[in-house]
Amino acid sequence: MRAAVVAIAAVLSVIPVGAQSKPKAPPYSAKTAWGDPDIQGVWDYKTITPLERPANFGDRQFLTDEEVKRLEANAAKRLNSPPDENSPQGLVHAPYMTDPGQKVDEDRRTSLIIDPPDGRIPPLTAEAQTRLASRRTGGRDGGTDGPENRGSLERCITWGLPTAILPGLYNNNIRILQGPGYVTITHEMVHDTRIVPLDGRPALSPKFQQWFGDSRGHWEGQTLVVETRNFSDKLPYRGSGSGMHMVERFTRTGKNTVEYQLTVDDPHTWTRPWTLSERMRTSEGELYEYACHEGNYAMHNMLEEARDGEKAAAKASVKGVSE
Amino acid sequence: MKTLSACGAAALVLSAAVASAHHSFAAEFDANAPVVLKGTITKMEWINPHSWIHIDVKNPDGTVTEWMVEGGTPNTLFRRGFTRESVKAGMEITVEGYRAKNGANRANGRDLILKDGKRLFMGSSGTGAPIDGKE
Repeated sequence: MRAAVVAIAAVLSVIPVGAQSKPKAPPYSAKTAWGDPDIQGVWDYKTITPLERPANFGDRQFLTDEEVKRLEANAAKRLNSPPDENSPQGLVHAPYMTDPGQKVDEDRRTSLIIDPPDGRIPPLTAEAQTRLASRRTGGRDGGTDGPENRGSLERCITWGLPTAILPGLYNNNIRILQGPGYVTITHEMVHDTRIVPLDGRPALSPKFQQWFGDSRGHWEGQTLVVETRNFSDKLPYRGSGSGMHMVERFTRTGKNTVEYQLTVDDPHTWTRPWTLSERMRTSEGELYEYACHEGNYAMHNMLEEARDGEKAAAKASVKGVSE
Repeated sequence: MKTLSACGAAALVLSAAVASAHHSFAAEFDANAPVVLKGTITKMEWINPHSWIHIDVKNPDGTVTEWMVEGGTPNTLFRRGFTRESVKAGMEITVEGYRAKNGANRANGRDLILKDGKRLFMGSSGTGAPIDGKE
């Protein structure tokens, strides 16, 4: 094998540099009627490539052919097989009722995060660690006194950003629609829509905080750049604060492909910015409504069960006293 | 090296599995209370965020107990090939799942098996589409 590589390298070294480069495919250059790059469509971003590189891959950035084959076979098996003794307990969804994809991202990296080079979200700052510790003793602590103790996902408020555009168990789709001066991005998870102005207006005052932030866009060549700030600290992403700043870059690379890059920064939370890269494809179907509060029986059930648990505990304690 | 790659594969699958879940299993169901329910479907609620299947379970004494079983999210089930024709009232079904923590007649559906042994919400191939005629 090594001899073959050396032989190929030797052959390559005598070929003039110019002759080695393949003719490049022309960039996808479809335009809207008013002349903007056309990135409209329903885009599917599901993938089994994890956000962060599992520690045991160490510094390795790319999967081997054999690993890709095995991972995709395992994912297909998991998705198309009934649960068995190896399936973890305590899953809200049996794996075969989910839609997380069966393929690794086309660039075959070991993580979606490409920077920092270790493929992982950077460490929290000391300030963020203190903030997190106080948050845990405050609201939204997973308690069951009332719905306010539960997170935004369980309350069907919003998945928030960047969560609503990161691959998950299902609803991994967005719809992009364009009009003169605006782009809209509708996230299937939980059908939130961002209406992104492109006219260069300034960002909202930091006094305004929104669950889904506030986005502004502009074009850099064929790439749509969307900057989002004004986040609410009611919905932290892995410890983030209201100062989180997202820069997204959407580049249509073909009729059915969009390259997506996201850089997240919050100096009050992480020791450095981090960036992920993923590829989106034309969705096989439509974007569906996910009116999450429609039948959110789980909220009622969780609170009811907590009250029943308290009653049972009180009864047991009275019984204990009387004995 | 081989062991290392195997671990890597497992970790990749695992991180995808825990990526997002709509609500907490532990706050609603008891992983130590598995149930097996045999009954007849009375109603399928194609409802967000998760579907619920209602079944009548016949008890040994002849009485009937109504149960409701949590299933996948409608968008996902539809993408995997299921329509309202796939899950109908009157179908006999066996549910393996976990019961509600407070002992209510609710369960999380881990496996749903039809009378002929086929799995409900289980496709024939990669697309998981029982309506595509391949089954």
